[in-house]
Formats: sequence, structure tokens, C-alpha cells
Amino acid sequence: MSAPEASVQVSFKNRAKTALADRTLKIAIDRTTGTAEAKRAVAVAAFPEFQAARARGRAIKDHVIAHLDHYLEQFERNATASGATVHWASDDAEARAIITRICLDAKAKLVTRSKSMLGEEIGLPHALADAGIERVETDLAEHIIQLAGEAPSHIVWPAMHRTREQVAELFKMAHHLPPSADDPATMVQSARRELRAKFLGADIGISGSNFLVADTGATCTVTNEGNAELTTTPPRIHIVTAGIEKIVPTTAHALSLLRLLVRSATGGELTQYTTFHCGPKRPGDADGPEEMHIVLVDNGRTRMLDNEFREMLRCIRCGACMNHCVVYRQIGGHAYGGTYPGPMGSVLTPVLNGLAGSRDLPNACTMNGRCAEVCPVEIPIPTLLRAWRIRSWREKLEPGSLRAGIGIWAVLARRPGLYGLASRIGVRALRLFGKGGWIARLPLAGGWTAHRDLPRPAGRTFMEQYRAQQAHKGSRP
Amino acid sequence: MTARDRILSAIRAALPHERPAPDAISAEAKALLADPDTIRPRLVAEGLLDAFILKAEAIGTTIDRVGGMEAVPDAVRRYLSGHGLSLSLAVEPTPALTALDWTGLDTGTTLAPDQPAALGKALWGIAESGSMIVHSGADTPILLSFLPLHHIVVLQESDILSHLEDYAAQLAERPHPRNAILITGPSGTTDIEGSYVRGAHGPGFLHVILVASTD
Amino acid sequence: MSGQPNPRVGLFVTCLVDAIRPSIGFSAIQLLEEAGCRVEVPQAQTCCGQPALNSGDEKDAAALARQTIAAFEGFDYIVLPSGSCAGTIVHGYPDLLAKDPVWAPRARILATRTHEITSFLVDVMGFRPKGRRLSATATYHDSCAGLRELGIAAQPRALLAEVAGLEMRGLEGNDVCCGFGGTFCVKYSDISNAIVTEKAEAIERTEADLLLAGDLGCLMNMAGKLNRRGARTRCFHTIEVLAGRADGPAIGEEG
Repeated sequence: MSAPEASVQVSFKNRAKTALADRTLKIAIDRTTGTAEAKRAVAVAAFPEFQAARARGRAIKDHVIAHLDHYLEQFERNATASGATVHWASDDAEARAIITRICLDAKAKLVTRSKSMLGEEIGLPHALADAGIERVETDLAEHIIQLAGEAPSHIVWPAMHRTREQVAELFKMAHHLPPSADDPATMVQSARRELRAKFLGADIGISGSNFLVADTGATCTVTNEGNAELTTTPPRIHIVTAGIEKIVPTTAHALSLLRLLVRSATGGELTQYTTFHCGPKRPGDADGPEEMHIVLVDNGRTRMLDNEFREMLRCIRCGACMNHCVVYRQIGGHAYGGTYPGPMGSVLTPVLNGLAGSRDLPNACTMNGRCAEVCPVEIPIPTLLRAWRIRSWREKLEPGSLRAGIGIWAVLARRPGLYGLASRIGVRALRLFGKGGWIARLPLAGGWTAHRDLPRPAGRTFMEQYRAQQAHKGSRP
Repeated sequence: MTARDRILSAIRAALPHERPAPDAISAEAKALLADPDTIRPRLVAEGLLDAFILKAEAIGTTIDRVGGMEAVPDAVRRYLSGHGLSLSLAVEPTPALTALDWTGLDTGTTLAPDQPAALGKALWGIAESGSMIVHSGADTPILLSFLPLHHIVVLQESDILSHLEDYAAQLAERPHPRNAILITGPSGTTDIEGSYVRGAHGPGFLHVILVASTD
Repeated sequence: MSGQPNPRVGLFVTCLVDAIRPSIGFSAIQLLEEAGCRVEVPQAQTCCGQPALNSGDEKDAAALARQTIAAFEGFDYIVLPSGSCAGTIVHGYPDLLAKDPVWAPRARILATRTHEITSFLVDVMGFRPKGRRLSATATYHDSCAGLRELGIAAQPRALLAEVAGLEMRGLEGNDVCCGFGGTFCVKYSDISNAIVTEKAEAIERTEADLLLAGDLGCLMNMAGKLNRRGARTRCFHTIEVLAGRADGPAIGEEG
């Protein structure tokens, strides 16, 4: 959890540097986020009530968070009444243990899984592997990264860092009937062929949940591919993993939030498939699982209820913040090093993994505010990132050089006379480093001059010139 | 202490001690959905039927309109021939469909893993989004909507609802099925470079036979 | 519109303008006086405290907030040639001092009187420059803090539209960050460089003579990158053009 500060800092910057040098990665990121950004803009423009809906979406989430215990208990009662078994997990280890136990008790050999970021957060893929259970990811993007042995780089498009050419290579190696061409349509057909038998042969299907509906006990999962239903229907057992903040009062509240989620995520209006799963199959039902287990996971969420990060519990995982983030669009998701990348991940990763090892994340942000502008539930992400910076400063995690620099600067800035003097000396000193109007190299400012020139200051500060002018005016009658 | 106790006590410790009664919480929740017209999209056409057709077609669903249930088998035949498919399909064992005259078509109720075509019946349509709703049950296997490449759905015009909330109200009035599914267009993915491809795992073709109201 | 025809305005020139480009400060005084304001420059000003605030150093940020409040609270208005520094006073100070019973109300009052200069000229003073002429093409970058914290977008464009002969050209990604981000640009200089490179490419594609923006930090970042790339785009603060100073040296040109 708390790796030595220096090494982790180096590793974020190193990962970012590697990503920046990867032109293929940049092309892949631009293709997907560019499309997502454009499509979201069109979807929002076509829904004039979007801003009002957004304010209401925020209010729904705030309401639920303010009554979280009430709704969780209501959900548990109704889910249990529908025949599901509800489990509670305080952290990732408990969640893994519960799920592995269900799989082992059922003597499961093959588990299909439909995409769930919570599953990634709790380390489910590794836990299943350790338990000797074959796991098949059924979401197309998750299938791609499973073949590549990678983690998701985006919460909506986990394989967005891979170009079609790279996907084609993976499929040609792994599929029994390899795709004949590398256009997306041919490759999608190949995955469809490859995964069909897995869907029907699985012992257990594991899904995530976009919403937990308190008054029915149903869990709602949305997909565009239809893989969730194919994952959760044929096996004997269906396991749902869900963060406790996913709760909503009723189906209508879930659908109201769904309008915001889909437009913000993909620019669509609704996902192709929106399913409310409520309990196992009913007696006489044509199909469906015999058992349904719901694992409610805390893993740091209750800690956020009474600290600066409470508003982050509103997050509905649409990914709009990363699609619109200038930093994410340069370095992609893997550079962030956590389950959740981008702006929302930079708030969440320090909660999940501790601040000491992830202090770079809240700092590696220009505070431009675009993430908050597009957030469908109005999370003030820059404010939350600043809150992490404040904690990091208080806990003395920031590098000594920065602390000393800010300290000396603040001593001066709090004394206007001295500050004026220092500025006057400073601008004259700076002029020594350049010729003409620019400074191309400046000691201690390599971060700036490595990439761009620095305008050489005018000879005198504004205050000097202004005072001279005022004195001149004053000396005249 | 169980994990359940730990989680609930952590929540209670973080929230104010004075808490509203459950009825007050429900009232507050209900108020959050008040004035629905101010927070949802307007229909794209005046009538529910026109709006449904516009939205459904915009997302790649194809539509055939017929005058009554008895015309459904002909519409199915037209669709299958039009796509060069053999005249054979799985039919949901719901009486409204099995009672029809399927002469000349090879119908069954079993689903193959690579089922070419299947026919089901939607409970409702939604004009806001062009969605259709399917509930699981004894006569309505879930996989019938997901395994075939061509999914054909019968929808009565009179069953088209206006908005998502109207469906939520219908659902609240009956026992919740294992699966309540909103289907909004054919299966699709944008997972490879964001480019849209149909038929990822579910049906690549979604065809609606809209049956006119008899009244 | 203001009730007072000749309000007393305290100009906060900002630390960057003071040190790097005084011309922006003098442009501000000129325009505010043309708009009928009585302008003063309190000598007790230094920096709004943003470097401390964005580094998480609340203590020093709060001390600078108090100092700035004390220096400016006697004025009818406090005006800054920077959306980012104005945003710090309008939003940052009230948050920073929220728990201080003495300073919280003073911070809130100052916040209501604080304005970025182009929005002050348009929204408060109803001002339009008269008789300006500049034969050039220009493109405009919306600096993030001004745009998102203060809603500055229409005002600078409305003012620039009054300059005869100035042809404005749209900038692709005009509302996307330039990668400056204060200390971000030196702490994460590789990432910042990648962002500003894309920005510079977009600016070059406009083939405009001038790049205009409302924040010197962003301007220095973009101008420094454009110069390093050998582009000939000349960079000015919006109000320098409005004050008729675009015939003088641009950022990075010797006077």
C-alpha cells in the first residue's frame, strides 16, 4: 500500500513518459476519446433538459448517500425476499474470499464475467486464477485485454489503448477460427464465434451492477453487446458485485440516472440492453440461474462519507471526465497505475491505495475544470483533487524542494516591500540569461525551458514603472 | 462483528444522529422525480407511435407494420425471405404467438447456440427511446432475445408507452420478474477504436412487427 | 450596470504581470480610466496566493488571502487582468477562509466586488473601446479558469469586435487547456509539453497573425512553445490589443 515515496513518483512520471513516447497509443486514445467527446456533445445538445436532469441526478445521489444505511437495509430485505443471497464485504480481501468460496463450493471450473470495474478494484481476476478457476471475460474490450494480459485503461472502453491492428494480432493468435481481416466488423464476428460456447458452458456468471434498486431488490446492469445477459442467464449461479454507493430508491430513479450515464459515456441515449436482475429464476421460468448472490462491497467507501471526498460517492462511472481530460488524452489510463484512471481515478486511487504511493495523481492535473463541467452528477473534481493536495502538504508527502521553494516564496509574498525588492532584483537577474526577447535555457527552470522559451522580462517591474509615473505626476503642479 | 455490522455502523457514525422516518425519506425520494417533463427528453414526434418509430429506426431497428396479429406469420416470412434466411425460426412459447397459423414456416421452441432467427413478443415499447421491454417468465426465455442473429419482436401499437417513467410505473404494479429487460436497438460495440459494429454478442438485427390496435 | 458612474477601482496587477509584462498593467489602467473608473494600485499587493493554494499549502495561501483582502476591501471594485487570479479571489478565498469567523465574511464581500477585467468592462461598466483600429488576423484561446470559474467567453469577443480591421479566426479546441496549470507545467513538464504542442499546432493551423488570451501564464506557455517551434505568431493579452498597444512589442519581443 505505501511503497517508498520516491520510487512511486518516479514510476508515475516514468509511466507517463513511456506513454508519451508511444505514438500508436496516442492514435488509439485520440480515436476513441475524440469520438466519445463529439458524440456526447451531440447527445447533450439534443436534450435541452440535460442541465436540469444533471442537477436532479446529483440530488438523487446525494439523497441516497444521506440515507445510505436505510436504503442498503431496504435493498437487502427485498433482494433476500426475491430469493437472492446478500453478502457484505468490508474490503477487497473479504469480497474476493466470498466470491472464491461460492465458486469453490459450487465446484465451478469455468466462470464467465461481464465487465465490472468493481471486479477489477477488488482484484477478482487474480483471485479466480489463484483458485484455479478458468475466467472468461465476455465484454469485447475485456476479452481483448484478457488475451493481452493487461488491465483496463479506461472504465468504459477498457481496451481503448489498442489499435485495430493490435487487436487483430491478438485474435489471430488466440481464436480457434482466426479473423480473416483486421476491420472491426470481422474481428467482432470472430469474438462472437469464439465466446459463444463459453457463455453456454459456464458454471457461474459474474456481473457488476450500475444500480442497486432498493425498493425491488433488483440489480441493474447495462451493456451494448448483450454479453451481460448471456453471462448471467445460462450458468447455474449468478454473482453480482456492487459498491454500496450504487443504490437508488426505485426503478424510476435508476432510469432517470441512466439517461445521464449513457449520454455522458458514449453519447447514446440508452444502452442497447438495460437489465434489472431480481433474484434467481422463478419456479417454472424457461431459463435463468438457480442461485443469485449479491456481494455488497465497501472497500473505503464508508470512509468517504464524513471526509472531503464524500461528493465522489456520487460518481456513476461514465468516463466523461477522462474523455475530456488533457492529461488522460496524452498519457492514457495505464500511466495512472490504479484501477480507475483519469480525473475520477485521481480522486479514488488515493482512497483505495493510500496517498503516499499515489500523491502524483492529484498533482498531475492542470485544474482546468473541464472534468467537472462534463460530470453528469456535478462532482467538483478539481476541488477534490485540491483536497488531496492539501492532505499531501499537511502530511509532508510533497518533495522537500517544493516545500522549501513555496516556503521562501511565501515569506517574501507576505512582505510587500521585500517582495517588491526581490522582484526588482529577480527580473534584472533573469535578463542576464537571455538575449533578445527570449530565454532559451534557465538554471533551475529546466522543466520550462526544456520544452519552451521563456519571455525575457522587461527591464523594470510594473510597480517600479507605476511608482515612477505617479511621482512624475505628483511633481508637476 | 460481521462485515454487515461494520459497514452499517460506519455509515451511521458518519451520518447525523437525528434521522427522518422512512416515510419522510420516501417522500423526499419521490419529490426528486417531480415535474418529470423538466428533466427528460421531449418526444421526437407528436404521437407515441410516430415517436417510437422515429427513435427505433434511428438506432438501427427495422419496422414492419401489420393490421392484426393474424398478419404476423406473413410478416415473419417476408422478413426471413428478404434477408435470404431459411423459413425456420424459434418462436417464444407464449400463447399469443403459438396460437397463430404458422403453416409453411418451420417453427420450434428450442434455441440453438447459433440460432439464426427467433421471434418474441414485447410487453411494451417506449416512445422516448424506441426501446422494447421483455420480462422473463415460463413462456419467455431470456436467451431468445440474445442468442439469435436476427431477433424479431412483435409489439402492439397500443402497448407503446411515452417515457421510461411510465414503464417504471408498470413494473411497480406487478411482481418483479427475474429479468426485466429494455432492448434499445441491435447489439453493438464500439470497443475497437470507438467504431460501431453490430452484432457483438447479441442480435445484429432487431426487427419489430408493429401490430395495429384493433379498436 | 454599476450604480456609480465613476467607481473607485483597485487594480491587482498580479505577480506575473508585475514581473514579466508591465504593459498589461498599463493597458488595464488605460481601459479602466477610459471606462470612467478612478484607478488605484495598492502597494501592499503581491500575489493572490495561487501557487500555495494549488500546492496544498493552505496556511500560506490563507495568509496571502488575508493580506489581499486587507489591501483591497476599501475599493468599490477589485479588477484583475487574469481570470485565474480573479477566480482565486472569487471562489478560492471564501472556501479557504470559510471557518474563520472574522475573515470569512470579509472574503465573501471582496468576492462579490472582484472581476476579471474584460468581464468588468462589459458586464459592470457597459464599456466598448472607441476608435481602435488594427489591421491583423487574430485567434483567441479561452483560458480555463476565466472560462469555467467566471464564465468569461462572450465579453472579450464583444470588446475585440469593436477593433476595426481585426479579423478573428476560430481556434480548434479553443476551450481546451493549454497545459500551463501553474506549477504543473514544471512539475510534469513532459505531459505539459505534449499538451502545449497540440495547442501550438492548432494555433499555427489558423495562420492568424496574433494569438490573444486573458491570462499571462497561459500566454507565456503558448508563446514560449510557438517561439521554440519557430512559429511567427505574435502573442498579446487581449487588453493590450484593446488598449491599442499591439503596435508595440509582443510577448518575447524586445521593446
